[in-house]
Amino acid sequence: MNIKISYKWLLEYLDTDASPFELQKYLSLCGPSVEHVTKVGDAERGGLTDYVLDIEITSNRIDMAAVMGIAREAQAILPQFGKKAKLKELKLSPPVKPVNELKISITDPSHTANRILGIVLDNITIGQSPDYIKKRLESAGIRALNNVVDITNYVMLEIGHPAHVFDYDRIHSNKLIFRKSKKGEKIISLEDKTYSLPGDDIVIEDGDGRIIDLPGIIGTSNSIVLPTTKRILFFIDNNDPVKMRRSSMKLGIRTVAATYNEKLPDPELGYTALLRGIQLYQKNAGARIASTIHDIYPHPRKEKSMKVYLKDIQRVMGVPIKENIITEILQRLGFKVLRHEDEELAYPDGVSFQVTVPTYRTDDISIKEDIIEEVARVYGYFNLPNNISPMVYIEQPKDIEKLFDVQRKIKYFLKNIGLHEVLNYSMISKELIEKMDLKLDNKLKIENTISEEIAFLRTSILPSLIKNIKENEGKRDILKFFEIAKVYEKKQSDLPNEIYRLGIAVNTSFADLKGIIEAILRDLNIKAYVTKKWVSQHFAKNLSAEILIADRSAVRFGQLKQSYQNNFEIKNKVYLAEFELNILLDNYKLVSPYVVPPQYALIKLDANIKSSKYNFDEIKKIAYKQSKLLHSIEYISSYKDTVTVRYYFTSAKENITEENAKKELEKILKVLV
Amino acid sequence: MDKLKVILSDAKKNILLSESSYDIKLISTKYLGRNGKINLLLQEIKKIDALERKEYGRKINQLKKQIEKLTSEKLTSLTQKEDENETVDVALPGKQYPHGSLHIVTLAIDEISHIFEKIGFIRMSYPEVEWEYFSFDALNMPPDHPARDDFETFFIDSKPHSKYGKMVLTPHTSSGQPREMMRLGQPPIRMINIAKTYRPNWDVSHAPMFHQFEGLCVDKKINISHLKGTISYFAKEFFGAKREIRLRPFHFQFTEPSFEVDITCGVCDGKGFIDDNKTKCKLCKSGWLELGGSGMVHPNVLMAGGIDPDEYTGWAFGFGVERVFMMKEGLNLDDLRILYSGDIRFLEQF
Repeated sequence: MNIKISYKWLLEYLDTDASPFELQKYLSLCGPSVEHVTKVGDAERGGLTDYVLDIEITSNRIDMAAVMGIAREAQAILPQFGKKAKLKELKLSPPVKPVNELKISITDPSHTANRILGIVLDNITIGQSPDYIKKRLESAGIRALNNVVDITNYVMLEIGHPAHVFDYDRIHSNKLIFRKSKKGEKIISLEDKTYSLPGDDIVIEDGDGRIIDLPGIIGTSNSIVLPTTKRILFFIDNNDPVKMRRSSMKLGIRTVAATYNEKLPDPELGYTALLRGIQLYQKNAGARIASTIHDIYPHPRKEKSMKVYLKDIQRVMGVPIKENIITEILQRLGFKVLRHEDEELAYPDGVSFQVTVPTYRTDDISIKEDIIEEVARVYGYFNLPNNISPMVYIEQPKDIEKLFDVQRKIKYFLKNIGLHEVLNYSMISKELIEKMDLKLDNKLKIENTISEEIAFLRTSILPSLIKNIKENEGKRDILKFFEIAKVYEKKQSDLPNEIYRLGIAVNTSFADLKGIIEAILRDLNIKAYVTKKWVSQHFAKNLSAEILIADRSAVRFGQLKQSYQNNFEIKNKVYLAEFELNILLDNYKLVSPYVVPPQYALIKLDANIKSSKYNFDEIKKIAYKQSKLLHSIEYISSYKDTVTVRYYFTSAKENITEENAKKELEKILKVLV
Repeated sequence: MDKLKVILSDAKKNILLSESSYDIKLISTKYLGRNGKINLLLQEIKKIDALERKEYGRKINQLKKQIEKLTSEKLTSLTQKEDENETVDVALPGKQYPHGSLHIVTLAIDEISHIFEKIGFIRMSYPEVEWEYFSFDALNMPPDHPARDDFETFFIDSKPHSKYGKMVLTPHTSSGQPREMMRLGQPPIRMINIAKTYRPNWDVSHAPMFHQFEGLCVDKKINISHLKGTISYFAKEFFGAKREIRLRPFHFQFTEPSFEVDITCGVCDGKGFIDDNKTKCKLCKSGWLELGGSGMVHPNVLMAGGIDPDEYTGWAFGFGVERVFMMKEGLNLDDLRILYSGDIRFLEQF
């Protein structure tokens, strides 16, 4: 979260010679990031110049989300840069018990709150806040309403604990009872919006079943102050941050108060905020004390103490930082420090510090590393040297190395032959799954998806690629895509198998797709494979095949069936292939075995064969079996079902004649034709 | 003597008829080569009467020079003609070769892994569909941590594991930290994990799937200076030698101390102003750009990975792949979602 606070306001709590821009620079390096400094006010028209600091507050440091918190940080950090910085303490004392007390009963029978503070004030005059309050609230991004409500916001920004105010006379029963909500209970917020509660939210009711507040998050219209209000209950409650966040998020009510309360502000600061608020009500609204302070605080937050060794601080920082610097930094941060030394150990091993952590930091500081961080950040990370981590050899598992290496090789190869790499989401829609007649029950489903487009994890890359073809139709005539990604195979009560696939989609021709597939195999030096017809749910009957490498199905490919093409309303034919990347990796070779070029005459002969009987793989197999002199085979062309094949013959021992070659060819054709 | 004349006229005819510098080369070999006609004449000089031998030799030499002159003249004119007889519009495109493209995330991952490989970091791979335990608990994020909300993490509809909790799509590459610690059993660890990550945000600046890269170094005597030095090395290698980094205090559950890493802006060179300090730089916040989060590995994370935090320390960082690549190349994508749209007009540009 970010807070915006005025520089002048900060000076009320901090005695410093640092300019707003120096504050920005130094705080950002060692503490909270001051993202922007904006000049406000209009000096020419007699207005006063001020600066607004826009500060990022990390979720663990809600204690900083206030003028006082930033002043505390500045006190620690600025001296490190030679700037003066001294906190000015607020002088506040609890009010005197009034003679005639107005009755109010606050109870928390089921112990839902950490602390509840309340005081009744009467003689209230509702009006405008003084200008400086209005300006400070407005530059913080909070709308000024009236003096009574503004004080709650002002106190929150100044001290760091949210506050609330009720119209005392609208709580007819004079009772506030904390309890948990039931699912479906209704509230009407101060903005007159009706909400149905998710259940188990912390609410305040008046004993007659009427909910009169959603504490820590938003006030309800039935209890908030009105222009006619005369008596108020000024109220501060400190609640379970997890419940705060849950209710606020589920209801979508993201008030500033809720963003504080979900980060557990210090209940001790709640008391400071109450006293400061009372002071301001007396000053700005004519308030008179009308009750004692009601304080339900079953488990007061205590300071805590922890031990940290000098050697550990030096070890993590990597520099021999001096003891006195450590002590000064911690003290300026509000920690108490006691030095111990075990004389039996060599310096600095025996030196430790017993550090007492103030209550506003006890939630954030819990281990010695937290103390080390405090020292290191204020000392300045920029003061630490840059060293590359010492070199050691760690073996990368060979299968992982191969996975990345070969993947890279395939990607560059496909790019270089004209394909475009696409990355699709791992999640697809139910609609896409149904368009492909795929099963839903073998896919992992996202429980809390934000869009139906990304509801199921893919078990194949092809549906996404078909979608890519569809969505690019008309943008380019020729479309050639590939994607390498994991698919997720659901398992019984275990994490899914994450399997790498290579998917290809083109809109050119079956031969083009087949050419790409063969080119990949050639580039990876995979020579021994068999192509088989393959009956597929998705591919056209006669244009569907698979390639087996060492008897494992490495790639299935074909022309998308017309019915699916229709489902996607795609104009042109689509050709698809999906590889099991693992099988490619297992069979990949950097180079093929060297084959000595033929030493004797190489004779080539062409012959036509009807292909209906054997497919080309079978033709090759038969040919090599029939002729010992066959050196290689080349596919030349096809016409209808006739294939022209070129045979090369040679002998390793002597020159052969064309007559010899023709005899060899006859042996082959005898079987083939 | 007639023999020499015949040779000369023969040579002249051949040279006259020659059409290319290749022909001249052949003629030159035929007459002037080691086994050429001139050398044959010289070999036969012994047969000549001793008195005439000198004069005969002189004539052969003359013949040789004549042929040399003729061939060389003809060669000059022919080569000139050969160079000039073809003209082409050099501005015309050449033969068209196929040109595909790689996704910019691939390009980024290649470069990042290469940079870390050089300093001994191995790239690893871990599950994307992960147990809550590895994505959160082992990273010191208790069950009620906001990052574990429905609004921050995708949960899988499946039966929870008795020990590891629910199945999630990992929202960060940090789940690789406990995985790597457990894989190795003990330090030293030098790991880089680059992977898909998922979060339920989908708008112009967020895609529900994106990529992160995570660095992890655990060893004896590892301190903040090693984190600074290593990230500085990365920044200079990836973005350029002039770039500097700084650490700012921040908060993450799985590191302590935690830092936000900034890098000097490449547009204004870290000055925050351009044009001689007159105009404020539009790209950066006062000279610096946010790179990502980092920190010293939290002792609880080391312990979850079975490593003794009193003996070992470590650092880790996690940066967005898309983010650093766009910063590097100055790609101004007005809508981040285009990365995963599959739009050919976007893809073909890289």
